[in-house]
Amino acid sequence: MNALLEQFLSESRDFLQGIGEKLMQLEADPESIPLMTELFRFVHTLKGNSGLFDFPEMTRVLHASEDLMDAVRHGRVKYSQDLTDQLLDAMDFVGILMDEIESTGRIGNNHATNSVELAKSLRELLAQSTVELDTTASEPQGISNIDHPSVDQVLEEFAAVEIDNVQDITVGFSEPEFDLTEDVAAELYRSATEGASVFWVEYIPESECFFKGEDPFYLSRQVPAVLWCRSTLQKDISSLAEMDVYSSQLGFQFLTIATQDELDDIFRYVPDQIQRIDISALAFVKPSGIEGGNTIDDEFISRTLGLLNDSDLERASHSIRTMLELSAPELWSSSVLRWTLRVIELDPSNKQVQSTLIHTLRTHDKIDLVSLVQNDSSEGVTSSDSHLPEAQLANEFVAHEEVNDHSSVNSALMAGFHVILEAQKIVLSSPPNAWSVGRLKSVAATLIAAHRATHQLHEIEHIEQALQSSLTENSARPLLAWLDNILDHVSDVHEVPATTPIDIPVTSTVIEETVVHEEVVDPSAKFGRRVEDASPHFGRRAEDSNAVVSKTLKVDQEKIDRLMNLIGEMVVAKNALPYLANRAETVFGVRDLSREIKAQYAVINRVAEEMQDTIMQVRMMPVSFIFQRFPRMVRDISRKLGKEVELVLEGESTEADKNIIEALSDPLIHIVRNSLDHGLESPEVRVAAGKNAVGKLLIRATQESDRVLIEIIDDGRGINPNVIKQKAYEKGLIDEGALERISDEEAVNLVFAAGFSTADVISDLSGRGVGMDVVRSAVERINGTVGIESEVGKGTRLYLSLPLSMAVTNVMIIESNQQIFGVPMDMVVETVRVPRAQLSSIKQKQTTVLRGRIVPLLSLNELLALPFEQVPNEDDEFATLVVRVHGEHVGIIVDDFRETVDIILKPMTGILGGLGGFSGAALLGDGSVLMVLNPRELI
Amino acid sequence: MAIEYKKSLAVFSDFVGVEEAENLLQWLLKNPKGKINLAACAHIHAANLQVLMAVKPQISAWPVDEDLQRWLTVLEK
Repeated sequence: MNALLEQFLSESRDFLQGIGEKLMQLEADPESIPLMTELFRFVHTLKGNSGLFDFPEMTRVLHASEDLMDAVRHGRVKYSQDLTDQLLDAMDFVGILMDEIESTGRIGNNHATNSVELAKSLRELLAQSTVELDTTASEPQGISNIDHPSVDQVLEEFAAVEIDNVQDITVGFSEPEFDLTEDVAAELYRSATEGASVFWVEYIPESECFFKGEDPFYLSRQVPAVLWCRSTLQKDISSLAEMDVYSSQLGFQFLTIATQDELDDIFRYVPDQIQRIDISALAFVKPSGIEGGNTIDDEFISRTLGLLNDSDLERASHSIRTMLELSAPELWSSSVLRWTLRVIELDPSNKQVQSTLIHTLRTHDKIDLVSLVQNDSSEGVTSSDSHLPEAQLANEFVAHEEVNDHSSVNSALMAGFHVILEAQKIVLSSPPNAWSVGRLKSVAATLIAAHRATHQLHEIEHIEQALQSSLTENSARPLLAWLDNILDHVSDVHEVPATTPIDIPVTSTVIEETVVHEEVVDPSAKFGRRVEDASPHFGRRAEDSNAVVSKTLKVDQEKIDRLMNLIGEMVVAKNALPYLANRAETVFGVRDLSREIKAQYAVINRVAEEMQDTIMQVRMMPVSFIFQRFPRMVRDISRKLGKEVELVLEGESTEADKNIIEALSDPLIHIVRNSLDHGLESPEVRVAAGKNAVGKLLIRATQESDRVLIEIIDDGRGINPNVIKQKAYEKGLIDEGALERISDEEAVNLVFAAGFSTADVISDLSGRGVGMDVVRSAVERINGTVGIESEVGKGTRLYLSLPLSMAVTNVMIIESNQQIFGVPMDMVVETVRVPRAQLSSIKQKQTTVLRGRIVPLLSLNELLALPFEQVPNEDDEFATLVVRVHGEHVGIIVDDFRETVDIILKPMTGILGGLGGFSGAALLGDGSVLMVLNPRELI
Repeated sequence: MAIEYKKSLAVFSDFVGVEEAENLLQWLLKNPKGKINLAACAHIHAANLQVLMAVKPQISAWPVDEDLQRWLTVLEK
């Protein structure tokens, strides 16, 4: 997992927490504008952040939440309990997605549906509340109606919402409609009966999808196992000349036996633009062919029906095969026979379908087997009304019954009828719940449809009466009583053969269908049930007992700083113990005690050092924190300059103290800009110089003992030391003597001098003459050093050396005028004792020659304006501390050297803060204060 | 070029991207009798598909790619 994502997850959890809290507070104070504004801001930021990643499911929900919150904030939508619930749900969902991202790195496909549903319900809330506000505004007396709606109203609203939903889902989508060759249909039927799901998918991309870089056609072609497909135009294009080619009017429809998971994965970015319907096997049983004369005689039909009814499938199929051989294969009747054979083979128990198929040979009706079976297994009254062919089919059955009294078809139909009634009884007997009213209506509708199909129209009136009384009593009892009565009657009159093999399997499917039916009244139900459920299913966060506990702690930096200070004091206090041991021995003469104190000191020392290390670790951050912005920056700048640059980052996991990393960010940006602007050449120049057209910029971080080394290396034109020297001379930075004297390396490092800029043209990127000296001072402020090496035509290497941590400084203690001072060890080159004889004066300045080099000497007392001479030792030698300042060696004469110590350097504050020459102060083990000098400022 | 325009024939090859759609429509409007050769075509962007479906030009050669051909049967006259 990359650092950005990690940060996103940790931040988002905070936001989620914040949103939850704000929502709770808002519940107590629904009118509070600041609360709402803050809430909106949270959701808005979270959405924005999530957009950085590839989590469409998350962004979708957050976007909807944001819109809703925006409406609430502006008073377009009234705040309500319901709204809080919805938003909390949405945030729980986002939390679950985050858990999943954390554990698996991605979001599973199974969330796409929930995401769409949640977003939709949030948007619905937006629409509903707006409407509600409108009505309350126009007619205030309506409020009471809304507050205390009657059962009827609830029902009406319920129905209205359901219809809305359905319309919402099917906007632009059409009923499944396909025309298949018999072979393909047979294959689909085979797959479907063997347990595979056959999905009818319609994908209608949004019209502006081309602008989002989508290719809906390509997407559609990715679907595996497509057995039938078609592309359509959503509306006729009247004038080709005015056609907008970049506004999609396309639709794609296909039948596939791909799994739901595969489909979800392919369409995960556009789940709201597809309709997916599980098609039942029977939808494919569609005989086709040339309608010829009646080549099948009645006798064959009656005999086959008889055989089917007796479940003598072997003989029935034998007889059908014989008939097939006798008829021309392209005839419609042959197709019917072939289909009957297929049904016998694949679904031998489905006597009803087999019989119906054979029966159509007599009636020559186009059959709709799905409706027939569905109708028998509890379809709503509406579908029965609107599908006249079924009623006709029922008529056919009845008519047939009149001719042939003991018709097998009739008994099969009645068996189905009985099964439906039994199923309704099971439904009614289940315990009441929130949907009881809808369930009652559904059961009644089913019963009415079943009776209409079997031509028992007189009973419909009774059913309606029973339903009414059930609704008024709000219990299933009256309807159940009526049903029991009828069931007794039915089993009396039409004895259902006990051997009927279809009984058990059908019952189970009937129950399943009925339950589904209660949830959604779905116009496409005749093609099987819609796959999406009405409400998203996922556990609520609050109920999640084993919720993932975040392993990262977010701690205020102040607390860490305080801890750091405390450990600093601890180190100082610990350092007092050796003094104490010393006193015990020398002053009180107790050697044993002294030894014990020293032993204790060793233990405390170890623990304290470990603690210090650990706290430093807490403050450590990887340099990737600043490196991660470079790819984008380099890309932008190189585009602007018309250069081609390949950026290579190395050692991103190298760590350093937070303060160092933060202080480093600006100088580094400056350096990289400089390299791009001045260092790397344009592609033409590079090619002319025989280099690769693409310039290379390497940023590398490495750890070298207790320092971090950061190098910025380019393979550009390099820096010409002569040009630099000349410029520096022109600007008065060096004198004529220096012009001749300084080495190339020193010359190149002149770019760090204040007021130096070499760019011929001042661009808006760099070259205002404030560049590199700012970099140097920023780096020196954090005790770092900066340097540059360059070879003309080959490239430039710029390096920054920084301490790992600023917390502990190693200083050397020196003595002057009976006071002690500290000098940071990283500046000390060497300590020497210079005999008075070797001192010489050049232009009133003391110097000496060390290792063949002239080193200027300065007296510390003089630098500190103390009116005393430095004191030499017994051999008349002066203790000289050689320090490196701006790349030059300078000797500082002091009185004596002492030991080096690790101290916690505290910058000076208040009035002392303005004092030059000191970098800070520290406490020593014996409690005295050590002033630490800053030779750079001093000299 | 993913589409090579000849006098009265547009030859599609490989992947025909979204940027071709505008030109394709203009060409078809200028050459109402223009034919389309799809033989060497592996995929056309949906925007091009839409143009072809709206204009319904004569297809002189169907794609060798069977899957593509199946999706394009809607272009048959």
